[in-house]
Amino acid sequence: MNIPKNLGPEEVAIKPAPRPARSLRLKNTLVGWSFVCIASLLIGIFYFYPMVQALILSFQSGTGVHLSFVGFENYVRLFQDPVFLTTVKNTVIYLIIQVPVMILLALFLSVVLNNKTLKWKGFFRTAIFLPCVTSLVAYSVVFKYLFAPDGIVNMMLLKINLVAEPIQWLTDPFWAKITIILAITWRWTGYNMIFYLSALQNVDRSIYEAAKIDGASAVQQFFKITIPMLKPIILFTSITSTIGTLQLFDEVMNITAGGPGNATMTISQYIYNLSFKYTPDFGYAATVSYGIVFLIVIFSIIQFKAAGDKK
Amino acid sequence: MKKFLVLLFISMLVLSACSSGSNSEADADTNDIKVWAWDPNFNVKAMELAKEAYKEENSELNIEIIENAQDDIIQKLNTSLSSGTTKGMPNIVLIEDYRAQSFLRSYPDMFYAVDDAINTEEFAKYKIPPTSFEGKQYGVPFDSGVAGLYVRTDYLEEAGYSSEDLQNADWEQVIEIGKAVKEATGKQMITQDPKDLGLLRMMIQTSGAWYLEEDGVTPNIANNEALKEAFRLYKEMIDADLVKPHADWSQFIASINNGDISMVPSGNWITPSIKAEASQSGKWAVAPFPKLPGMESVNASNLGGSSWYVLNIPGKEKAAEFLGKTFGAEGKFHQQFVEEIGGVGTYQPALEGDAYQAEDEFFGGQKILSDFASWTEEIPQVNYGLHTYVIEDILANEIQKYLDGENLDTVMDNAQSLAEQQAK
Repeated sequence: MNIPKNLGPEEVAIKPAPRPARSLRLKNTLVGWSFVCIASLLIGIFYFYPMVQALILSFQSGTGVHLSFVGFENYVRLFQDPVFLTTVKNTVIYLIIQVPVMILLALFLSVVLNNKTLKWKGFFRTAIFLPCVTSLVAYSVVFKYLFAPDGIVNMMLLKINLVAEPIQWLTDPFWAKITIILAITWRWTGYNMIFYLSALQNVDRSIYEAAKIDGASAVQQFFKITIPMLKPIILFTSITSTIGTLQLFDEVMNITAGGPGNATMTISQYIYNLSFKYTPDFGYAATVSYGIVFLIVIFSIIQFKAAGDKK
Repeated sequence: MKKFLVLLFISMLVLSACSSGSNSEADADTNDIKVWAWDPNFNVKAMELAKEAYKEENSELNIEIIENAQDDIIQKLNTSLSSGTTKGMPNIVLIEDYRAQSFLRSYPDMFYAVDDAINTEEFAKYKIPPTSFEGKQYGVPFDSGVAGLYVRTDYLEEAGYSSEDLQNADWEQVIEIGKAVKEATGKQMITQDPKDLGLLRMMIQTSGAWYLEEDGVTPNIANNEALKEAFRLYKEMIDADLVKPHADWSQFIASINNGDISMVPSGNWITPSIKAEASQSGKWAVAPFPKLPGMESVNASNLGGSSWYVLNIPGKEKAAEFLGKTFGAEGKFHQQFVEEIGGVGTYQPALEGDAYQAEDEFFGGQKILSDFASWTEEIPQVNYGLHTYVIEDILANEIQKYLDGENLDTVMDNAQSLAEQQAK
């Protein structure tokens, strides 16, 4: 080594050219910031600016362009609005029934499909994932026809003598909700299953082997190993599914249009109706959308707490 | 780094160029007129006829007709007009009469009054309140939406009735016939979407009532005798199992074409859909719309119907003149509208034309157009006002409770207070 003895390694590195190094660092910082800058600017313009505008809008009310500030009147109206409360109730029913059913189904399917000895694995995985690539509107329309009074579902039920007369899947308040839940479960189960499948690839096989040697049954392995190992992914999928369900719109709009009455109407559809179907009141519609924001925050906090994830 | 700055500079230039590009288009003397309308077989076709007819008048004018779904038109109008931009907006747009007041009130400066282009006296009276606002006429009245009761004469005969029994009938009589027909043929009377209360709307308009008071704002539900009677009749039909539910338009049409039902109370624009099933030719007739029993009510009503509106953007004078000289003046357009589309207009002088006297074999030789035209004159005038669809959603929900056995007055009082809360 030809380093002079009176100099440390750092001094060697810095001393010969102190200026270029500083400008290099400055340059690096600048380039870094400029990259961040564009993204932040775009996020700011297209996300935060509209959010702030919507918040301001939510304190206004009136028809069309005649908006005036009304203070908290919209928020007071929100909590007294029976239609809003019905839509919240409907959405929460979808949430409470559909999300757990879907998560459990997805977990079950992913564990089955993760079995090493299973043949045609690729085919089954593709088949179950395929619903996710269909367009929301297209599959909704197909479901509407499947579940029509003289649709194929009723025909099948009648032919195998399960029911005496066609079930009103779309025009009965109870069955209409079931139809919506069936539709979204069909559409999203495969999507969540893919997350679990990929997470299962990372679970060490030797844990299962050790459990097997210790005499753990398949059920015990599932509850004591698989579920705890997948916990972060389960949390992630349940939060994204919750958010998705709270924003549910396309399916309900196309399958039942919210009917009969308001029996299947979701919060998002109510926002649409307030803005476009009725005499437009964009101020109150913005208030309702902040209602969704509020609900999403609450549900996410509950899920984090329930999952006990301190990080 | 330099490259990056150059890129940034260029992208800013491009952005600013985009935003300033709109100014140059403000050409007041434009000859390009854009029209938005829905329904290619009816509205769009009518506009094309008008366009052809106007070529003789002014061949300079270049009219472009763009077909959009009605929901899309409403959305585009609402988003553009509320943001105050008229870029990309059409010069002429079709708006349903039920919604017209809501647009006129929400965006008052965005529409152009057509008082100079048409003479409102020449149109069916009931079309004027929905299409005018604060004393000015904004809409050029177009199709009538006059309602009738389409009946399967062959089913009626099996039960020992004929369409004669439905002349000047009230709903009680019609329900009796419906029950007898169901007994004889097993076919239900009507098909109904529980979310769409068009039937109730038609029923109450026969007695000059509406969801709102005459001011077009105050909900009129709790003390609305016509509406209560309509609710009661609806329940009577449901309880007698005369109503086949459907959830969308195609199921509605399928029920008609498959012969599942014996009657279709609807607007005259349903004629082409009924005639689509050619094998049923001669098996249909159109009776006057039934009135409400036990109150002042006429055998004429309306469902749907729309009018043309001119937006307050360059080209408005020419657009208004075009509408005035075609839809609002005598000429070959009206004759063609009847002959080629089978539509019933609201321009009174044209209603006497020969085309209206044609006999329709599909309806057993009945002069249905002439009948529709004469009923048009009797339709009671009501102000649809601002809140038709808000109140309809409330009622659609409340009527379910009523059908489940709740007391009618309780349901109506509840609907009234809900409507007062919602409709502001």
